Amino acid sequence: MPLRARFSLALVALFALFAVLFGCSKPADPGGAARIKLALNWVPEPEFGGFYAARDGGAYKKAGLDVEIQGGGAGVPVVQMVAAGQADFGVAGADEVLTARARGADVIPIFAVYQTSPQGIMAHASRGAKGIPDVLASGTLAVELGAPYAAFLKKKHGFDRAKIVPYDGGVARFVADKDFAQQCFVTSEPIAATQKGSDPQVFLVADEGFNPYVAVVITRRALFKEQPDRVRAFARATQEGWRAYLDDPAPANAAMGKLNTSMSAATFTAAAAAQRPLIETDETKKRGLGTMTRARWDTLAQQLVELGILAKAPSAEEYLMAVE
Amino acid sequence: MAQPAPSRLGAVLAPLLALAAILAVWEGLTRALAVPAYLLPPPSAVLAAAAHDAGALASGALMTGRAALIGFLMSAVFGALAAIALGSSRLLEKAFYPYTIFLQTVPIVAIAPLLVLWFGPGLRAVAVSAFIVSVFPVIANTLAGLRSVDPGLRDLFRLYGAGRFATLVKLSIPSAVPSIVTGLRVASGLAVIGTIVGEFVAGFSEDSAGLGILVLSSYRQLRTDLLFAAVLTAAALGLALFGAVNLVGALLLRRWHPSEQNR
Repeated sequence: MPLRARFSLALVALFALFAVLFGCSKPADPGGAARIKLALNWVPEPEFGGFYAARDGGAYKKAGLDVEIQGGGAGVPVVQMVAAGQADFGVAGADEVLTARARGADVIPIFAVYQTSPQGIMAHASRGAKGIPDVLASGTLAVELGAPYAAFLKKKHGFDRAKIVPYDGGVARFVADKDFAQQCFVTSEPIAATQKGSDPQVFLVADEGFNPYVAVVITRRALFKEQPDRVRAFARATQEGWRAYLDDPAPANAAMGKLNTSMSAATFTAAAAAQRPLIETDETKKRGLGTMTRARWDTLAQQLVELGILAKAPSAEEYLMAVE
Repeated sequence: MAQPAPSRLGAVLAPLLALAAILAVWEGLTRALAVPAYLLPPPSAVLAAAAHDAGALASGALMTGRAALIGFLMSAVFGALAAIALGSSRLLEKAFYPYTIFLQTVPIVAIAPLLVLWFGPGLRAVAVSAFIVSVFPVIANTLAGLRSVDPGLRDLFRLYGAGRFATLVKLSIPSAVPSIVTGLRVASGLAVIGTIVGEFVAGFSEDSAGLGILVLSSYRQLRTDLLFAAVLTAAALGLALFGAVNLVGALLLRRWHPSEQNR
């Protein structure tokens, strides 16, 4: 029946179209080299500079790794992606690592970019605040409710005097309102607000006593058990990349600027400079970039228990096995 | 009862003049009131941003357009097939139709991160997000079309002893085409929205950013001009998809259906 034939021909043609549209999205299948995927939790920014430096500067290649960096967005489920094997490595916060582990995602940290958390509260300098307690005393504060750092500040200082509103990812309301304060990454929002003529003053949450490692590289524990050498090689090459990025951020900034076109070259430079003291500390000068200590992880676990985010503190032996 | 047909020139000029007027008022007001560009950029600034970041917008439109097209085509095919399946039996329809409504009420923002886990980051998760958002109007409209076949014609088919398949292919589906096209029109715009939301969480595909990522990062950088340019580009994609549906609909229908005659 020609009609029926035409009908099925149309269907076949449509499915072929799908195949073509989907097909060209797939990169060439892995050949001989070890193809590895690193998932970022945000769009390419200086926060990830060392990874791009390791990729473009040849540190990964030298370690026998062909690394594909998967840029992220808002709320990318990086920890789950790594746990499910959709990415071999990922970038997440230390608090996320512990909560995900408590929910059964067997991921382990191998490298911590930020030794001091860049999480801060930014207020207008004209308010003359001396610290976070002053900022919390009046005005409006935008925070990501439910974030562990916010729970910590709430427990320590109380959120009953300032008006608390949800953080929306931008700085528009901050720039428009002198009594508006908000959470920020030292490396991001204060720079954007300054460029719009504001006078932001930043207080680190770390100075209040809550200082998880941030931009922690994680992997699956199963992957570490199967291929410990490859995981260690990845960590070492990443360290090499960060060294190169701290010495000269320009090449990696240019590479990231091509991907993240909304961020100007000047902003890349400013952010790279602002984050440097958080990445290279006295501790890393002794023990190497990306270093992590058991004491820091234990403190964080204890704090998360006190905040009611974790039921009980896990033992560091369960997850710190890949740390040299 | 025919209304006097407006001149062709008028049909083209009227919306263009309206657009020019709106842009002029917008430009004038933002300048006169000195509205900061990060709150509401004047059209000239949006245009300048579009020119400055033309490359990023073009590659973003390509990524977003491809994902929206895949999601839309999936909606068209699976939506129409699902509706035909449901339409073939009252029992099936009663059993499953309520659950298709579920698709319409799914808060896509909430489940988008799960799509990334289920289908992988990048294009696949984004296309599925576009599909989920846009499939319901196709199902609902196709089903309505299949149900509203002229009963006289249905009797005629029965009288001549036409089988189920012949009735479906020669009567029900052809007479449902106008409804299907209506469903596809609605789906075309929704597919782009679903794509943008999907991109927020699915991140980059193959090292290039779709318009959703561009919206996200330009908001963070307070580049409201670029944000507007990206949003308008997304709207243009939706319009292009809508136009394509209209064109295909007109080609299919103009021979015989009153809705496409007298145009």
